[in-house]
Amino acid sequence: MNTTILDVKDLCKTYIINKRQNNVLRNVSFHIDKGEMVAVMGPSGSGKSTLLYTVSGMDKMTAGSVNFCGKNLADMSENDLAEMRLDDMGFIFQQMYMMKNLSIIDNIILPAVKSRKNKENRRDITKRGKELMHKLGISEIGDNDINEVSGGQLQRACICRSMINDPDMIFADEPTGALNRTASDEVMNELTKLNDNGTTVMLVTHDAKVAAKCSRVLFIVDGNIKGEYNINRALSLHERERGLNNWLQEMGW
Amino acid sequence: MYLRILKRDLKRKKTMNVILLMFVILATMFAASSVNNIMSVINGLDNYFEKANLSDHFIINVSDNGDEIADMIAQKSSVKDFRREDQFFFDDKGVTRNGKKLIEQSSTFLALSIDNAQINYFNSDNEIITEVKEGTAYFTSTLASSSNLEIGDKFDVKIGNTQLTFSYAGIAKDAFLGSEMMGNSRILMNSSDYAKIAADEKASENNQAQIFYINGYDKKALASDLSDLPNVQFNKDQTLVRTSYIMNSIVAGLLLIVSICLLIVSFVTLRFTISFTINEDFREIGVMKALGLRNNSVRGLYLVKYFGIAVIGAVIGFALSLPFGNMLLKKVSDNMVLANGNPILVGIICSLAVIAIILLFCWSCTKKIKKLSPIDAVRSGQTGERFRKKGVFRLEKSKLGTTGFLAVNDVFSSPKQFCIMTSIFTVCLLLIMSLANTANTLGSEKLMPTLCATPSDAYITDTEMISRLMTGESTYSELENEIEDKLAENNMPGKVHSETLLFPLMEANGKKATAAFMYCKDTKASDYTYSEGYAPKYENEIALTKQLADKVDVGIGDKVNITLDGETKEYIVSAFFQSMVQLGETGRFCENAYIPESAVKNVMGFQIDFDDHPDNAETEKRIEKMKDIFNTKYVDDSDGFVSACIGKDVTNTLNSVKLLVIVITAIIIIMISVLMERSLISKEKPEIALMKAMGFNTRSVITQHTLRFVIVAIAASVISAVLSLPVTKLCIDPVFSIMGALNGVDYNLKPVEIYAVYPMIVIISTIAGAFITALYMKTIKASDTSDIE
Repeated sequence: MNTTILDVKDLCKTYIINKRQNNVLRNVSFHIDKGEMVAVMGPSGSGKSTLLYTVSGMDKMTAGSVNFCGKNLADMSENDLAEMRLDDMGFIFQQMYMMKNLSIIDNIILPAVKSRKNKENRRDITKRGKELMHKLGISEIGDNDINEVSGGQLQRACICRSMINDPDMIFADEPTGALNRTASDEVMNELTKLNDNGTTVMLVTHDAKVAAKCSRVLFIVDGNIKGEYNINRALSLHERERGLNNWLQEMGW
Repeated sequence: MYLRILKRDLKRKKTMNVILLMFVILATMFAASSVNNIMSVINGLDNYFEKANLSDHFIINVSDNGDEIADMIAQKSSVKDFRREDQFFFDDKGVTRNGKKLIEQSSTFLALSIDNAQINYFNSDNEIITEVKEGTAYFTSTLASSSNLEIGDKFDVKIGNTQLTFSYAGIAKDAFLGSEMMGNSRILMNSSDYAKIAADEKASENNQAQIFYINGYDKKALASDLSDLPNVQFNKDQTLVRTSYIMNSIVAGLLLIVSICLLIVSFVTLRFTISFTINEDFREIGVMKALGLRNNSVRGLYLVKYFGIAVIGAVIGFALSLPFGNMLLKKVSDNMVLANGNPILVGIICSLAVIAIILLFCWSCTKKIKKLSPIDAVRSGQTGERFRKKGVFRLEKSKLGTTGFLAVNDVFSSPKQFCIMTSIFTVCLLLIMSLANTANTLGSEKLMPTLCATPSDAYITDTEMISRLMTGESTYSELENEIEDKLAENNMPGKVHSETLLFPLMEANGKKATAAFMYCKDTKASDYTYSEGYAPKYENEIALTKQLADKVDVGIGDKVNITLDGETKEYIVSAFFQSMVQLGETGRFCENAYIPESAVKNVMGFQIDFDDHPDNAETEKRIEKMKDIFNTKYVDDSDGFVSACIGKDVTNTLNSVKLLVIVITAIIIIMISVLMERSLISKEKPEIALMKAMGFNTRSVITQHTLRFVIVAIAASVISAVLSLPVTKLCIDPVFSIMGALNGVDYNLKPVEIYAVYPMIVIISTIAGAFITALYMKTIKASDTSDIE
């Protein structure tokens, strides 16, 4: 039986720019069950990233409610939200941003060392970090500086970082946006593997090929979810992609 | 287009630009005021002496044999002309208001008539005082600065048996005796008031003094010719008077050093900020270059921006430099007539220099633009070919918490940036520490050897007692017995001894010199410190300072003739020592030497050693009790005695300068911390957002940023603590050398003050600046990660 991990109801997000109100999200409602891999698609400026940041507690909502693992984000303090992001969530960004003064392995283990819940010693955390790197095929770059590795390697290191605290859910904002096709496939394969192992994933993408690897697609236009498309993962990737493209065409993509 | 880009830049980087503007203001203010000040002080003395009509040589005679001395001077072949200024000397009990002493001062006061003034005295507007109305009087020196009288206030002067009431007319600047080291206050009065005192028999008998202002054909020959005048209290040339202004010059010099340091700090910070801002803009530079703008056009954009900031800052800084410079010079100009020169022109030149330097910095910083291709610039200056490891520590191996680790790692990963800050903080701290070491040394018993005195439990430097000795009212033995009796009566018996000051004539190799000779029958000459030779052991042995020995061209083992009280004897120089008495022109007799009591006319003070050797607390109590017994505040411990000998004003002035420097330094450090932290925040905004996104709370990020500054401040404190003494010696030894201590002095280093208080001030200022600025990070949200470029 599926359990809801993220429940979003009537979510609104408004920015005031030059005294003008800009409603980026308008009464968005959806839910994500544990173990799902959901892609959010939509044209530029439709509010995809804002949705991702608001439901993950990185940005404040204007109205509505977001429940993550049964906790209403609106009721949580900044510190509680930070702790939740540290222990229960993982993040992957398009720009593969890392702390420039740390080596790759230190960047990966940093959230685990910071976590108060994690009682492991640093040696064990490092060992686990290296295991993750090994799994993602980047074990040789641990001691490297972040400027010494390729974009694909760096994004996989970011995935390792997002996984280090064994989060309940990973949020990814266009994780393949800055990568070439090969690197993009590698990254998506890793995310799919993660999902197969039970981690819930919500990702924002423009790429139908990437979205086709998910179990569900939310299509957002002008701050509203215009449609939802369930993907049969039993089909081949090519078939899934074709089906998704057809649906997107219907949605006006 | 240019203007539009500039307008947006000024708006977008408001904080950075405002801080940059503030540093330009500070740099201009310090440059203009300090250059003006040093020009005023350096040229000031020559100009002041000329305006005051000072002579080549000065004689002070404290006796009623003025005519005899005048005749002797007149007969000297090297004398071109001379002027005689009659006065009356008296002690601080002679000037009262409502029955209370107006001020307490250990040096002698002098009263003279303006009609018989032989040099020019100036009022507070630097105009020559030509007339003093009957019943009014002007004050000079300490009396002027410490009496707190308002013009028109009444006070009484009692000399001999005559008491007169005066109305205060204002301050008078006295070029001869007005310096802090001379410190003899004078009262300028009308001739009819003066005549009333002169008519007093007791005053005429006991309080007569004359100052002779003598000009000669050849200054050296004149000094040598006049050196055999008998028993005169002061017989020196203009060089000594000039040197007596050293404290004024020191204050001005210190202010100049402070200004130079602050100037360096301002310029280093400016360079850092300009370079930092340009590095930050590489992306925009890249876009501009990609669009086809030429290198010079891009550089021009920055030059225009910094030119604008520099001009605005320089104009404000120049305007502020005038009152600021006057404030810094106030202490100096209180007892000097300073040549004003042209402060506005100097200020304008300094301001233009600051603008030029800023543009030069900007030009050199923007050189990088030329070398970079548009793509390099778009990559924010990164070439993509950097293989040097940035991080130096490993999280796995570190024992620090994440916040501490990140802070330490950041500091060591960007050494250049944090080294600049450490250097700036170190310079600021060393500046405060050197001033503190100097001020603390000037009031500490560590200077005792250079003042030719030995440690005792208590010291009386009361003018009234010394005056009685000078006027012949009491002999030294009588005073010694009187003090010992009073101490015994009050159940604190002790022995009294004094460092006697004698002024014999010394001759050797055909050269003559009158110098202060120290003599104490109750201490051994071997109790004092010597730099060469051995302590005088026999009655015909003396020790000399190097300066005095050079004057008569003798070395250790040479013989000199000394004439004291009309009798000439031959002595052998057995040792050299260093002394700050009479600016280093001092000698010492052996305790076995025969010195007639009639020759003892002056002492440094009366030193008391209690028979029961009380502890410090008890000694302090007794010192307080003695103040009541002897009705004077001039009873001190060793530190107080040194301070009194050097001049309490000097120590106070240094302490004021120190306080001013501490305040300026704290402000500078806070500003630097704010500027640097603000720069770092804008540079590291993506990382801050990322950390927040990863789950670091705002407090952790603020702590990490603040900790980096704490590390810098602690590093600066440690470096400064190590360098404090060597730097103090390097900067301040030359000053003590001018005062007579050629080999430098043993500095009084107060560990709590130097190693705890000042570093704490710097650390707290740093934390305050960095923390308050770091609070800005509250506005950076985790979701800003999406804006990472």
